[in-house]
Amino acid sequence: MTLNFILNGKNLSVETSPDRRVVDLLREDLGLSGTKECCGSGECGACTILVDGESRLSCLMLAAQLEGRTLLTIEGLASNGELHVVQQAFVDHGGVQCGFCTPGMVLATLDLLRRIPDPTRAEVRRELSGNLCRCTGYQKIVDAVMAAARTLNGGMS
Amino acid sequence: MDVLFPRTLEELQKLRTKTPGSLVMAGGTDLLVKIRKTGQKPTAIFCIERIAELQRLDVLDDEIVIGAAVTLQQLLECDTIKTELTALFEALSALASPPVRHSATLVGNVCTASPAGDTLPPLYVFAAEVEISNTSGRRRQSIAEFITGPGKTTLQPDEIVTAVRVPKPVDGMHSVYYKVGKRKAMAIAVASMAARFEFGEAGAIKNIKMAWGSVGPTVVRAIDVEAYLTGCPLSVDYLREAGRLASAAVCPIDDVRASADYRRQVTGNLLLRLARDKRD
Amino acid sequence: MEASLVVNPGVKEIGQSAARLDAYTKVTGEEKFAADCYPEGFLWAGVKRSEHAHARILAIDTTGATALSRVVSVLTHRDIKGKNRLGIFEKDQPILADERVRHYGDAVALVVAESKAALAEALAAIRVEYEPLPPVFDPEAALETGAPILHPTRPAGNVLIQSEIVCGDGAVNLGECAFQATVKIQTGWQEHAFLETQTGVAWMEEDGTLSMTVSTQTPFRDRLELAEALGLSPAKIHVVAPCLGGGFGGKDGVSVQGFLALAAMHSGGRPVKIYYSREESILAGVKRHPMRADYSVGCDKDGVLQALSCNLLFDTGAYASLGAEVFALAMEHAGGPYRIPNVSIHGSAVYTNNPVSGAFRGFGVPQAAAAMEQVIDELAKAGGFDPLELRRKNAVRRGDTSPTGVLLTQTTGILECLDQLERHPLWRQRKKWCESAPAFKRRGVGIATIYHSVGFGPAIADYANAKLEILTDGNFRVYAGVSDMGQGNASTYAQIAGHILCQPHEIMDIVLPDTARTLPSASSSASRTTFTYGNAMIGAAELLRDRIRARAALMISFQLLHSVPIEEVALLPGVARHLPSGRSVPLSLVATMMDVSERTVTYSYTCPVNNQPIASGENLRMHGFPHRVVTYGAQLVTVEVDTLTGETVVCDMLNCVDAGRVLNPQAYEQQVQGGAAQGLGYALFEEFAVTDGRILTGDFSTYILPTALDVPDMVTEPVTPNEKDGPFGMKGVGEIGIDGVFPAIANAIAVATGVRITAETMSAEKVLAALRQTGQEGRP
Repeated sequence: MTLNFILNGKNLSVETSPDRRVVDLLREDLGLSGTKECCGSGECGACTILVDGESRLSCLMLAAQLEGRTLLTIEGLASNGELHVVQQAFVDHGGVQCGFCTPGMVLATLDLLRRIPDPTRAEVRRELSGNLCRCTGYQKIVDAVMAAARTLNGGMS
Repeated sequence: MDVLFPRTLEELQKLRTKTPGSLVMAGGTDLLVKIRKTGQKPTAIFCIERIAELQRLDVLDDEIVIGAAVTLQQLLECDTIKTELTALFEALSALASPPVRHSATLVGNVCTASPAGDTLPPLYVFAAEVEISNTSGRRRQSIAEFITGPGKTTLQPDEIVTAVRVPKPVDGMHSVYYKVGKRKAMAIAVASMAARFEFGEAGAIKNIKMAWGSVGPTVVRAIDVEAYLTGCPLSVDYLREAGRLASAAVCPIDDVRASADYRRQVTGNLLLRLARDKRD
Repeated sequence: MEASLVVNPGVKEIGQSAARLDAYTKVTGEEKFAADCYPEGFLWAGVKRSEHAHARILAIDTTGATALSRVVSVLTHRDIKGKNRLGIFEKDQPILADERVRHYGDAVALVVAESKAALAEALAAIRVEYEPLPPVFDPEAALETGAPILHPTRPAGNVLIQSEIVCGDGAVNLGECAFQATVKIQTGWQEHAFLETQTGVAWMEEDGTLSMTVSTQTPFRDRLELAEALGLSPAKIHVVAPCLGGGFGGKDGVSVQGFLALAAMHSGGRPVKIYYSREESILAGVKRHPMRADYSVGCDKDGVLQALSCNLLFDTGAYASLGAEVFALAMEHAGGPYRIPNVSIHGSAVYTNNPVSGAFRGFGVPQAAAAMEQVIDELAKAGGFDPLELRRKNAVRRGDTSPTGVLLTQTTGILECLDQLERHPLWRQRKKWCESAPAFKRRGVGIATIYHSVGFGPAIADYANAKLEILTDGNFRVYAGVSDMGQGNASTYAQIAGHILCQPHEIMDIVLPDTARTLPSASSSASRTTFTYGNAMIGAAELLRDRIRARAALMISFQLLHSVPIEEVALLPGVARHLPSGRSVPLSLVATMMDVSERTVTYSYTCPVNNQPIASGENLRMHGFPHRVVTYGAQLVTVEVDTLTGETVVCDMLNCVDAGRVLNPQAYEQQVQGGAAQGLGYALFEEFAVTDGRILTGDFSTYILPTALDVPDMVTEPVTPNEKDGPFGMKGVGEIGIDGVFPAIANAIAVATGVRITAETMSAEKVLAALRQTGQEGRP
């Protein structure tokens, strides 16, 4: 079937089988391997993307569900080579080690800051509890998110 | 596997009738995981996310009507649920993770009918009803009668659940949901408890309803525990005795997550959390 | 020829925090992991696994699979031309099972197909006829006479390795000690659970070279292992190791490489890809060794340790993997970082039909520490000693001999770690903190002291070959020899080069391990990835620095019309400057004036070893005993347990770590925090259940990893002696962070509940049972 949706700001028309998992569509068909798969069953959050601004697990989404929707994957976040505030914060505060959880973690962070613009550390941990990380122990990820929130709030908290 | 998005209930019914081996999908967070695990694909999946009628989330005078396509996130953002159906709010907050809650639905959780389903104990104590649509019309059933066993409901092949209806509680009703999992997030409940109650004279309990999850093939109610606590204050001694009754009322099993003995113990112990949460 | 004034981008000195160079490409999703390779026209490859824990293979019928359209090839052991045996020291693991299968993860047939669906269908269509053999799942049972033998050609039966270390009078006088304590500790498997599972792609080049890009900690060694197993020439195997999405030891050695190679040789010239699902990763991958240990320790009336007697039994599963090495490291560290004059340490690692155990961060030390640090706490209790004071009194100092007879010639910071821990409010206010537990909670504070030796030991060369190049645009290229699995070592190599060359390292180009471009530098493991290659990089950078200075001096001398000695030339960001005259030459110009053969420098470094004679445990020598450079730590956790459910929350963690000097504080903390979090998982959450060889916790819904809500904020306080053996005084901080967490938590729970939990993961169920034992269950 033909699907029409907006991907990273661009209109896209894709021919695919309706039951193709979105994570496979992105990685294998569209060459966007920034979105990772690491469990395939909704337990790790590595496949997180934003659909109409909301975080969703792309391993539990079927291609047909994309019709008419607006998707943001990690590749669409930086603009003109400039990192988004959240991405920069992850870089600066040591929130990236092996990097495999990072795309999902960054997008989950965007979702969290949209809903809670000025979170506490505890709230950050709660809202990122759906994204597993095996390298960092989470602390520097929380540091990064808190710093990003401060920056986005105009340096105030 | 075909994936279609009917726009109306009627369309959905028609599609189902002419497509044997098809399944209905709400959020997909249980269904797609199951398909992957078993390797058994249905002939088609019909998604309900675009059926307007199923998207209703109505706060009426006497009840809240939650359509089949309403996501858990939408419910978390509903003030009435947060303030008046606190046990349900707490269950929703403890269920899975934020991205899952953006697509998972309450009705989906009910239809999956897992003995460990987080929303179920609260829905039981709130005496929720499911509203079912079939080829002849509609029917309603209390949730306790709707769920008949682990993963089993009274849903017939031509039926779908269109909504869950939760009666609005009276003023002064308190409710809680306690969950014990193997970690603080993304955990299948190993034991859970929902309770709703009011305070009467001198802090004595009245109109108490309780339900336990993950300790039986379906959610467990225990009338004798409720009877015992009626008229009692929420003090440790009474709650401890009530806990003994509760432990006797449940029938948990051993599985990879926990033993039956542990579940039984925790069932009783969880009542003591009410003592901590003393409200005046 | 004055260089125009360039805005100085600055040099990140060694000792300063610096963001990883790959952080940028990782936050944008640009960084390509092995999992992200989808070569043009590739085929999917996958493996059919055993249906028994132990069985003879009678027949493999692949006709059902080969008949399917979209199946390109179906392979069995008969298609393997070489020895069909993988392993590092003990080559006992077939790529595809031939005579028998020894665990449920054993691979029996390999399919190459056009799609994942075709692959699954073909695998299901393969019929294998087995003759079940009696299995053995209990390591003690595996040692008994008459036990089923997994590797009948081995003279030692199911014993992979057995050893004993006896020093002083052994355990002879333990019974006479003023105070004694005994514990029996069991630790379970632990799953690496790296987010990127085992994966790679492979293809045959036109010249017959086998090329692969694979998530591996050992690209160079893989070639040798594959060559022997498959009957190929190692020179005709090209392995590229991009950034790994986690490794932790689980990708140390061949995982999918054998399958990839075989598939690529039978794919009609097309590239092949393998990408394990999580379930397959758990089924097939190696795990941390489970251990059973009996420990008895005694001290005099003042708390001075006198004797230790212990027995360690490791379950190495169906194949050796790195089992003997893990065992050897555990034995070496079995007595903790203490002065104990008399020890009797016995141990063995045995085969069972359980999942294969292998390398996992900590590599035997977490297991040994799990026992030693608990028996020390029990001894403190028995003698009425403060647990920290007891440790401090007995902690080793430089120049001491460890309990296993190893003379500690290098920096030994354990006392300072303990001092630091002792000064911290988390320790000083522990009583008050514990006493203010809320209703229905009990609190406890526990500590552990650990040590962890760096590198490969005396027999296996711990070497690295650095390669560094100045490019014609004046920038630099670092040829990283050791896989980066998230430690950030590749970035640290550049930081070292930048420090010595006085150049900004952030703009340097990094080539990740590639057997065709970088140089052999051994495995990403053993806390040596920055230690060894860093030393080599210092040599390379100094060589290149001086070569550039010399050429610049020559160039400037032509300008000044007199000879310019090299000493007068300094490298600054982007330029070489003649200090007396102020004249500069841009590095790009110097580089252009150098021949291509001059612009690249290589430097080989091999770590010094501990060459002292060891009286005991001689058969452990080739497996790594003894080491030379040692890291130390003292860890503290505070826990709060729920008397109603047994759920345990770790409220605080304190890591006082001696890993020598800190090259990059941010990277250092990352390693400690990450290791400690894995230790927390090991202690409280990651129960790995196996029954009759079958894994019950086979996915992430049943194997429970800690989430962001389960790990607290931690304090990390480095103790930083200058370790002369290490680059800029560092030692290697990759593993020390995980080593002490299990016993620290066990000790804290013992305080909180009054009962010591000694069997594997300290689940809520076990904690509740402990509370019940001391009458505290359900008490406010």
